[in-house]
Amino acid sequence: MTSVASVAPVSLLVRRSEATLFKFLFWSAVVHAALVSLAIAYAKLHEEPSIDLDQKPIKATLVRQGTPRDEKLLPRIEQAPPPPMEQKAPEPAPTPAPPKTVAPAPVAAPAPPKTKQAGEKKADTRQQLFGAFDKMSKSKPDTTGAADGDPNGDSAVAEGEAYYARLRSQITRFYDVSDTIPDSERIRLTAQVAVVISAAGQLERARLAKSSGNDLFDSAVMTAVKRAAPFAPPPTHLRDALSKYGVVLQFRP
Amino acid sequence: MIRILTLSLLLCPLAALAQAPVIEISGANFRPLPIAVPLPQALNDGARTVSPEFDDAFFFDCSAAGIFQVLDRKSYLADAREGFTASTITFSRWADVGAEALVKVQLSVDGRELRGEMRLFTVSSGKEELRLVHVVPLDQPRKLAHFFADALYKQFTREPGPFQSHLAFVRRAGKGKDVYLGDWDGKRAAPVAQGSINLLPVVGPQGDSVAFTSYRSGKPALYLQKAGGAATPLVTNGAMVTGASFSPDGRRIAYSMAQGEGAQLFVADAGGGNPQPLTDTPYFINSSPTWSPDGRRIAFVSNRAGTPQIYVLTVANPKDVRRLTFQGNYNQTPDWSPRGDLIAFTARDERNAFDLFTVNVESGKVTRLTQDQGNNQEPSFSPNGRLIVFNSNRTGASMLWVMTAEGQNQKMLPLEKGDYSTPDWGP
Repeated sequence: MTSVASVAPVSLLVRRSEATLFKFLFWSAVVHAALVSLAIAYAKLHEEPSIDLDQKPIKATLVRQGTPRDEKLLPRIEQAPPPPMEQKAPEPAPTPAPPKTVAPAPVAAPAPPKTKQAGEKKADTRQQLFGAFDKMSKSKPDTTGAADGDPNGDSAVAEGEAYYARLRSQITRFYDVSDTIPDSERIRLTAQVAVVISAAGQLERARLAKSSGNDLFDSAVMTAVKRAAPFAPPPTHLRDALSKYGVVLQFRP
Repeated sequence: MIRILTLSLLLCPLAALAQAPVIEISGANFRPLPIAVPLPQALNDGARTVSPEFDDAFFFDCSAAGIFQVLDRKSYLADAREGFTASTITFSRWADVGAEALVKVQLSVDGRELRGEMRLFTVSSGKEELRLVHVVPLDQPRKLAHFFADALYKQFTREPGPFQSHLAFVRRAGKGKDVYLGDWDGKRAAPVAQGSINLLPVVGPQGDSVAFTSYRSGKPALYLQKAGGAATPLVTNGAMVTGASFSPDGRRIAYSMAQGEGAQLFVADAGGGNPQPLTDTPYFINSSPTWSPDGRRIAFVSNRAGTPQIYVLTVANPKDVRRLTFQGNYNQTPDWSPRGDLIAFTARDERNAFDLFTVNVESGKVTRLTQDQGNNQEPSFSPNGRLIVFNSNRTGASMLWVMTAEGQNQKMLPLEKGDYSTPDWGP
C-alpha cells in the first residue's frame, strides 16, 4: 500500500519547487503548442485539394461544330424539350469493362457495341457500377457548348476534381425543382445534403444537413440525389474520404 | 504516457480538420409541379348538376397554368369516395401516382347559391396547406372555378393568378367579323359588336369594356363598348384608325391613324380627346402600339428602315426612338409583358412561317416560342405576364391557344369550332 503511494506519479510534482513547476508548465505549454501546430501543418500538407466554390472545378463542355446561324435570321429552337421524366432503372453496361482503378471513362464516350458474353449475369453488380456513368453518356449531349470550350468536351484538370464534377453533373440531370416556387424565393434558396459514397459508388447515406425552409425544394434535392445514385466508383485517393466523411452537396436553384 | 498524450494531441486537430468537401450544385431544371385534381365531390343533387361545368373550367385552368403538371385522372389509385380531410385521405396512394400536391373540391347547392370548398394538401407530408370556401350564384360555376384556380396559383407563386381576367377576340361570322368579350378561356363570351367588320379588340381597363376598330359607319373608326351596351365612338375623323392600346393606368389610349401614304401613332385621353402625335414619319407606317407597364414607353411597329420592325419610344419625349429587333424581316403585333421585361411579337421566318417570339427590352435578345406548328400569330400576355394567348392554325382552322411566356405547355382554348383571331387578354 505505502510502496504504491511512494511510486505514484503525483510525487513528481510534489517534490519540485514552485519555480520548477512553472518551468515545467511553461515547457509543457510550448511543447503542446508545437505539437498542435505540427499536427495542423501535417494535416494541411496532406489535405485533399480543396474546392474553391467560386471557381468551377471542371469545364466539361461540348462545343457544337459547324457554321453558326446567320445573325440576321430569327433564332430556331434547336433541340426538342428534354425527354419525358421517367424513372429509369440503372441500365446495365453492354460489355463488362475490365475493372479500371484509375481514370473512369470520359463523360461523352460513345457506348461500346452490344455484345453478349458468358458470365454476364455474374457481373451484374459491377455493370451497375460502371453503368452509372453510362447513364450519363447515353443522355443527349448539350450541343450548345460555350464557344471557348474544348472540342472534345473534356478538359478535366485533376482526377479528384473531375470526379466531383461528374458527381455534380450526374445529380444535376435529376435536379428537378417545381416551377411553382416564386422567383423571389428562388434567389435565396439553399439546401445542403450530406452524402456518403461507398468505395463501389453506392449511395450509403444521404441526409438533409441544412434545410432551405421550402419543403418542395428540400424534397426535390433529396429526390435528385437518390435518383442519381449509384455513382461511379470514386478514384482511389478519394475512396476513404468519401466513405468516411462523405461530401456535402450545396444546392441552389 | 507521454506517447498517449502526444498521440491524442495529434489526433484531436486532425479530427476537426477532417471536413467533408462542399460541392455546389445549381442549374435546377424547373418543371411543373405534379398535382392531382380529382373530380369535385358533389354533396347534393343540385351540386351534381353544376359539377361538370365547374370541373371543366377548374381542370383547364390548372392544366393551362404552366406551373402544374396535372396528372391523368385515369391513373388515380385512391378511392373515389375518399374523405375530404387530411386524416381521411390515404396519401400514399397519391404519392404512388407521382402526385406532390393534391387539391380537393366539395360542391353543394343551397337555394340559388353554389357553395364550394377547396383544400390543398402536400402529399409527402399530408399537410393541409390551404382551405377556402367561396359562394357564387348557382348559374356561375365557372366563376367559382376561376376563383379557386387563382387562389391555388397564388398559394404557390405568391402572385395573382390570371384566371379571373377577360379575353376579347374576333370571330368570323359569314362575311363580317364579330368582337367577343368573355372569361380568360374564351368561355361565357358575349358578342360585343356584331354585323359589319369589327377588328383588333382590346379589353378596357376595368375588364368590362372593349375598344375596337369598326367599319359600322362605312369608314373604319375606333369605338368603345361594354358587353350589352351601346358603342361610344372614340376616334372618328374619317381616317383608318387601328390598334388601340390603353395605358396601364387606363387614362390614356394610343392608336395608329392612317395619314397620306403612311400611318402615325397618337396618344389621347381615354375618351379620345386631346390627341397628340407620337411619330412623324410621313412616308412610313407606324402601328400596333403597346404600353410598357410603367406607362412611360410605347413599343410599336414601323417600316421606317424598310421592313417592319419593333421600335420603342418614350411617351414624354417621342423623339427618343430606339429600334429593338434586328433579326428577321417581318416583325409585327408586339405586346409588352405586364412584367416589363419582354415584348412578345409575331415574326415571319426564313421559311415563311409566322411564329411567336419574345424580345428582351433591355438586352434585345430574341427567343423563339413556337416552331414547326403551322402559323402562330398575335400574342397577348396575361395580366400577370406568365401566360400568352395567341392564334394558331396548326389544327386547320384558326383557333385560340395559350402557353407559358417561355413557349411551354401549349393548349388550345376550349372554344367551339370557328375562325378566331386577334385575342387580347385584359384585366
